[in-house]
Amino acid sequence: MNGAAQDLYDRQIVERARNPLYAGELPVPDLQGEGRNPLCGDRTRLDITLEGHHISQIRHRTRGCALCIAAADMLAERLGGCGLEEARAVGARFSAMLVAPDDPAETTVQKAAKRIENPPEGIPSLGGMEPLMAVRFHKARIRCVELPWVALKEALAHVRV
Amino acid sequence: MNTDRTLKAAPAGKLDVQAVRAQFPILSETVHGRPFVFLDSGASAQKPAVVIDCMADAMRHQYANIHRGLYWMSERTSEAYEAVRGQVAAFLNAPSHEEIIFTRNSTEAINLVAHSLGSLMKPGQAVLISEMEHHANLIPWQMLRDRSGVELRVAPITDEGDLDMEAYGRLLEDGKVALVAMTHMSNVLGTVTPAREIADRAHEAGALVLFDGSQAAVHRRTDVQALGADFYTFTGHKLYGPTGIGVLWGRRALLDDMPPFLGGGDMISSVTFEKSTWANVPHKFEAGTPAIVETIGLGAAIRWVESIGFDAIEAHEQALTAYALEKLADVPGLKVVGAPKQRGGVISFTMADVHPHDIATLLDRNGIAVRAGQHCAEPLMRRLGLHATTRASFGVYTDTHDIDVLAETLARIRDFFV
Repeated sequence: MNGAAQDLYDRQIVERARNPLYAGELPVPDLQGEGRNPLCGDRTRLDITLEGHHISQIRHRTRGCALCIAAADMLAERLGGCGLEEARAVGARFSAMLVAPDDPAETTVQKAAKRIENPPEGIPSLGGMEPLMAVRFHKARIRCVELPWVALKEALAHVRV
Repeated sequence: MNTDRTLKAAPAGKLDVQAVRAQFPILSETVHGRPFVFLDSGASAQKPAVVIDCMADAMRHQYANIHRGLYWMSERTSEAYEAVRGQVAAFLNAPSHEEIIFTRNSTEAINLVAHSLGSLMKPGQAVLISEMEHHANLIPWQMLRDRSGVELRVAPITDEGDLDMEAYGRLLEDGKVALVAMTHMSNVLGTVTPAREIADRAHEAGALVLFDGSQAAVHRRTDVQALGADFYTFTGHKLYGPTGIGVLWGRRALLDDMPPFLGGGDMISSVTFEKSTWANVPHKFEAGTPAIVETIGLGAAIRWVESIGFDAIEAHEQALTAYALEKLADVPGLKVVGAPKQRGGVISFTMADVHPHDIATLLDRNGIAVRAGQHCAEPLMRRLGLHATTRASFGVYTDTHDIDVLAETLARIRDFFV
């Protein structure tokens, strides 16, 4: 594989897709959401349990590509224990980073990642989700990593914080 | 990896594929620093220089609106546009050029029939399609069903990907089917359907038959009379022509009885505020200024295809498809979807647990263009028990080198994931 493809298919992403840590379902979820991509038939379902206004557990059932599975798993990892407001803020930041305009001075994914690792104060960090940011440079695949966040949005749609 | 195309022998057949390739400027482009390997002709074919030049020449030297200008330039443009109607009629062996209706694409042609012929259908009648239709030959009939109460029936396919002819016969038995609308070649499985037999059985049961020829018309000679069709559709952009121009052929008597599809200029005979009357076919179905330049481009594409000849094209693509099936069988974990009796130059496959999107992205990074996903055939995917496939589809310019590069790269992608 050549360089750019390796950036997208970071070892962490490929490993995570192969051995997801949060795949499955919860027996009595408080919230559920689903994201579907009609172009490819991919689907993510999220089961969420709450403790007050905090997410206690998330599990996902994902039928999708490596990027989609890894994104769902990293979402579950990042948001476990999170307040609902923070979860929404992380989602907003994730989406914003995916569509951020290219900086002409920034030519490599590594540079982008560096910026993502050090967000300005008050903005939630993306935690272990940084490798997914390489998808910024593969516009056709953005939908793949956004799918779990579509499911989260649906799950949280009727919850007032 | 072998990158020297000239060292590879051409597959059996009369076609000089390297001479053909030289006529497609885009094939000498590079993608991500690699030679461009284009294996997505089933979605849209590349264009030979003669088509590109012909369209540019039309706009440079011979262009005005048609059918209305009383001046030299408009008359010449009208002649060029109408000449393509005659060319298309000959291309399909249609009895008359007046039976050729220009549309935007095959989808619009099918919608025209669903809307116009469909308005003459009554509740209690049925439209019969198959499980392997592109959404273009499914959704228009679902919409007709929902607005008119016509029943929509679906003929099953076998596990090999052929139409189940016994089941097809049974669905026709009660005589309620008014129209059979069927693909002539599947865009996913490559299945070439037995059109003549489909048409004969439909006619015996009192049904009309429409073939969606979007894929088929590119790969083999089409003779609508020999097929026994009542309607036939195809699209220019898959036939090495431009986008924005498609064709509906229909039998004259049927077209005469059908009401117009879209209303507007050019499709009328007389107009008052109280009542209007319609122009004769084909103009009754061509409202507004058509795709003039694209139609002229389609004419150039048909001339170009006919200069090569369907005997050579079909022999080349058959040899190439056989070669590809053999090469892909050697890729560990790769499974070709379907094994139809007759297959055109389309191969869908899965590879171990590697998702088609991941395969397509990694192929792209190596300069190789394929299609991945559901291919606008979601119900077929469900029938096959798959949720997506990767598809390689071939054109007249595809050569064995393209296939070799595909197979070698797929093997490396598999190693990367597994």
